[in-house]
Amino acid sequence: MRIVVDRNKCTGLGICESLAPDHFEVNDEGALVVLRDSVSEDELDAVQQAVEGCPTEALRLEN
Amino acid sequence: MTVHAEAHSFDPAPVATLEFWGRTAEERETTFKELRDERPVSWHPPLEGNLLPLEKDGIWIVVRHADVVSVSKDWETFSSAQGVTMEEMPEDMAAAASSFLGMDPPRHTRLRRLVSSAFTPKQVKKIDDQINNQARRIVDDLLDVGDCDFVAQVSKRLPMWTIFEMLGVPQELREEGYRAADGMVAYLDEDAAAGQDALTFQMNALMTLLNIGVELAEERRARPTSDLMTNLVQAEVDGERLTDEEIGAFFVLLSVAGNDTTRNTTSLTMKALCDFPDQRKLLLEDYDGRITTAIEEFVRWATPVQTFRRTVTRDTELNGQKLHGGDWVVTVFASANRDERVFDDPHAFNILRSPNPHVAFGGGGPHYCLGNMLAKTQLRHLFKELLFRVKDIEVGAPTYLTSHFIRGVRAMPCTFTR
Repeated sequence: MRIVVDRNKCTGLGICESLAPDHFEVNDEGALVVLRDSVSEDELDAVQQAVEGCPTEALRLEN
Repeated sequence: MTVHAEAHSFDPAPVATLEFWGRTAEERETTFKELRDERPVSWHPPLEGNLLPLEKDGIWIVVRHADVVSVSKDWETFSSAQGVTMEEMPEDMAAAASSFLGMDPPRHTRLRRLVSSAFTPKQVKKIDDQINNQARRIVDDLLDVGDCDFVAQVSKRLPMWTIFEMLGVPQELREEGYRAADGMVAYLDEDAAAGQDALTFQMNALMTLLNIGVELAEERRARPTSDLMTNLVQAEVDGERLTDEEIGAFFVLLSVAGNDTTRNTTSLTMKALCDFPDQRKLLLEDYDGRITTAIEEFVRWATPVQTFRRTVTRDTELNGQKLHGGDWVVTVFASANRDERVFDDPHAFNILRSPNPHVAFGGGGPHYCLGNMLAKTQLRHLFKELLFRVKDIEVGAPTYLTSHFIRGVRAMPCTFTR
């Protein structure tokens, strides 16, 4: 699975970072950085929570 | 004037009266429940007591969770660019008071980012100790003072302290800033306005905050530091520096949004923890393990921002009602957070509630609360201090602010064992 970010929707809130800090980080300019876009089986739960928890629906997972 | 093809008759629920917004939230909830069950998207006359007469023949009131969420997310159909409160206010006043809250993408996105970089998880973590110390000092002072007004002695203090610290407001301007930030939401309340008409009262509060913001901006241009105001005066949007008006509006928005929200959630949560002693016991049994889940329930319970307004940009339909371009739509977060379609036993304060898809930080979309993580950090530290250090703390009956926007507690007595 891979993480895809819709940059038009992302506002850099960082809720994803608080749920899956290994994959997401909001940098000092307030922009979201995807640290690793591939998601392994055991990381899927946290990343899925981050995707579902995004209030602006800026994240999705692709095969 | 919006002209409707079909003649609407007004809904009998008295949602557009000042008297309604002077009742308690529990009393209003009876009306919202009826609307949720029978008329989820309803048509009402413009709110009486407008700051300006409203050039509309009515407003839509949206009360179900699902509809509040879909309106919040669909910013292209439901615009914020023509104001976000259920009252008309002069255009320059609206712009000065709401900054990027009253904008749509893409301009909203560019301006918001200038501030949002100060509210990221890493930035909030950096000031975690500072907030913890502030919470401790507030409770130190409470313990010194003894029985008192909880709002003045506790709830009021932390939010503005944190925000003014972030912005770098000098001590000598803070007291004036606190009072003006209060005035921004208290203008409909007769006691608070103390004889002034609503427009004059709010305009005075607004001008005070704008002046503090602009004065601080000038100071930081001359002597930059590492605070948020320094970032703002140095920032560029589309190759241009922000104007004094834009910086002033940022300052007003942060002062208002950072003040009433956490403050009223603090008061209403303290009351809930007294009204539901079993929940307080549950929390005390495992504070660190339960507080994260509990805070979601604190904010659902309080819902400090009761409503936002959007303006329809094109003809559309919402839950069976035909809306027209130009129509005003009011999303009632207070009602959505008690929607029995989403929450089991919505009138129970349940600190273990999970999932808890409340809309107290907004229904999603680009305007979702920027300060949500900051607010959670404040509540976590403050309640830890209050519940573990203040023996047998209990609060009495609150008095409430009359407002269709903020659910405000003006005062609430507290007692404890010394």
